[in-house]
Amino acid sequence: MEKTIYTMWKRCEEEYSALPAVRWLVKKDVQEKKYGELAAETSAIKKGFVAEGFDHKHITLIGTSSVYWITAYMSVVTSTNTAVPLDSALPAADLIDLINRSDSEGVFLGKTFAALAGKIKAECPKVRKIWMLDGDAPEGTETVADLIAAGKDAGEPAQPTEDDISMIVFTSGTTGKSKGVMLTQSNLYCNIEAVLYDMDPGLIFLSVLPVHHAFCLTMDWLNGFWMGSVICINDSLLHMVRNMSIFQPDVMLMVPLMVETIYKRIKALGDVPPQVVAPKVFGSNMKYIFTGGAHLEPYYIGEFAKYGIEVYEGYGMTECSPVISSCKIGEGRPGSIGKPLSNVEIKFEDGEILVRGTSVMKGYYKMEAETEETLRGGWLHTGDKGYLDEDGYLFINGRVKNLIILSNGENISPEEIESKLALNDLISEIVVTGEDNMLTARIFPEPEAVEKMTPEEIQNALQDILNDYNKNQPTYKQLSRLVIRQNPFLKNSSRKIIRHQVLIDEPSA
Amino acid sequence: MEEKFKEIVARYCSVKAEDIKNDMSFRDDLGLSSLDLMTFLGDLEDEFDVEFELGEDEQKLSNVRTVEDAMNMLKEYME
Repeated sequence: MEKTIYTMWKRCEEEYSALPAVRWLVKKDVQEKKYGELAAETSAIKKGFVAEGFDHKHITLIGTSSVYWITAYMSVVTSTNTAVPLDSALPAADLIDLINRSDSEGVFLGKTFAALAGKIKAECPKVRKIWMLDGDAPEGTETVADLIAAGKDAGEPAQPTEDDISMIVFTSGTTGKSKGVMLTQSNLYCNIEAVLYDMDPGLIFLSVLPVHHAFCLTMDWLNGFWMGSVICINDSLLHMVRNMSIFQPDVMLMVPLMVETIYKRIKALGDVPPQVVAPKVFGSNMKYIFTGGAHLEPYYIGEFAKYGIEVYEGYGMTECSPVISSCKIGEGRPGSIGKPLSNVEIKFEDGEILVRGTSVMKGYYKMEAETEETLRGGWLHTGDKGYLDEDGYLFINGRVKNLIILSNGENISPEEIESKLALNDLISEIVVTGEDNMLTARIFPEPEAVEKMTPEEIQNALQDILNDYNKNQPTYKQLSRLVIRQNPFLKNSSRKIIRHQVLIDEPSA
Repeated sequence: MEEKFKEIVARYCSVKAEDIKNDMSFRDDLGLSSLDLMTFLGDLEDEFDVEFELGEDEQKLSNVRTVEDAMNMLKEYME
């Protein structure tokens, strides 16, 4: 049998048809869709793709997590087409750029992003169709119902092969330009197969991660579907705690930031016995929390255990579909990111973790030099340094590449932000650093440009530049602090700024 | 209302409710993360029975910098 998301989904349809697949909220009412219903809808949408000539085409999805988003996504990844899930919080110009760079010919758009439709029409020449995931269809767009209607009499769609690209996920590039990670049908299948934990159907997940991330798509959705679980959609991060009480999940995947916030909530309840606290905060059923995206302070694992919650840390990157290693249920080791998955080989080169296996990406879309650089000799260079202990548990102890990892799991390329801001006449040199989970801009102003300005005027002028940049950025990319340097940054012999020195010689203003 | 409001803020920081000043910044003075701030706003919704219409527009949250900003937003929704 082919190892594709198509065959996996077919099996879900056969085995779990009458079981609930997705739950979500409309106002305060819980709605539900069964596996059979979801599969019927994805089949109908795929026939629409056939009718509209979408075969081995790229289709972008823009929107936050919703039943409509996930139905469209499952339709694309179980067809021969390629899904390109984008971060809907990005500025419009970035979204347009990524639609063009991914060569997308179709776009699924959530209703709150309807205003983008005109811009896509005008600036993305390859896009032939824009389908609104929900709500009305503004001029030049169609609804998903229109797509289904178009495919009413179409023939059965072709099945994807293991080597077809199921999705392209954009990830921060250290060169300043985000890279489109190409993951094949079998990449995703093999990642889920290797991670699976032995659970009966009906397990309840509450999905709180951003839906455009590989961690969320593979480990909440595809992994959950494989096991016949019920995936509940968190309507907003404002309501994460409330929704834990409403949906009563057994399992949640989180980034460390979420663990930290929930821990504060627990502590705020004061001196109350754990058996009283747990149901109030987590709902009555919560057993397991899997974390990834950034390092989790092991302290929380012990603290959550007091409330009967087992926290397991894992490690991965989009380029590996994404999981590389994970602590398995009952086999956790605080501080470690678990044992490498069964489909993963690991070796070390100057301390850097290299990975080879069936979940490693095919490459970066239309970026051959970057692909060669990362997949040297068939081994993926992770950019992380680590070691294995005598029992085979993996630990991370440093980084080779220059990325800021925030505790919400977002990877920030400082160069990407620096190159944008460096264009400003007032800025001679700039380095972006991450401390306390926030981004700081460290700027050495252009001496000539600020010669006649008072320190206060310089401060205000630079802050205005940051405010202007922040205006269009998602929260995690905003520069929260400004440090004005009195001296240029220290450089090495090739005149490059020595990054690890920037916090040492002038830590603050 | 202000007292209850500050007790909710205090869930997310090590500063006592009575020591929380209106001009304090959630991030810099009280040490709230972006998710703490969102969860805090969710608590306000539950406790004061309002529904903030932030939609998918995260930008609105960047206007909520100080205790006073959040208090004003809450008042707006309670009117």
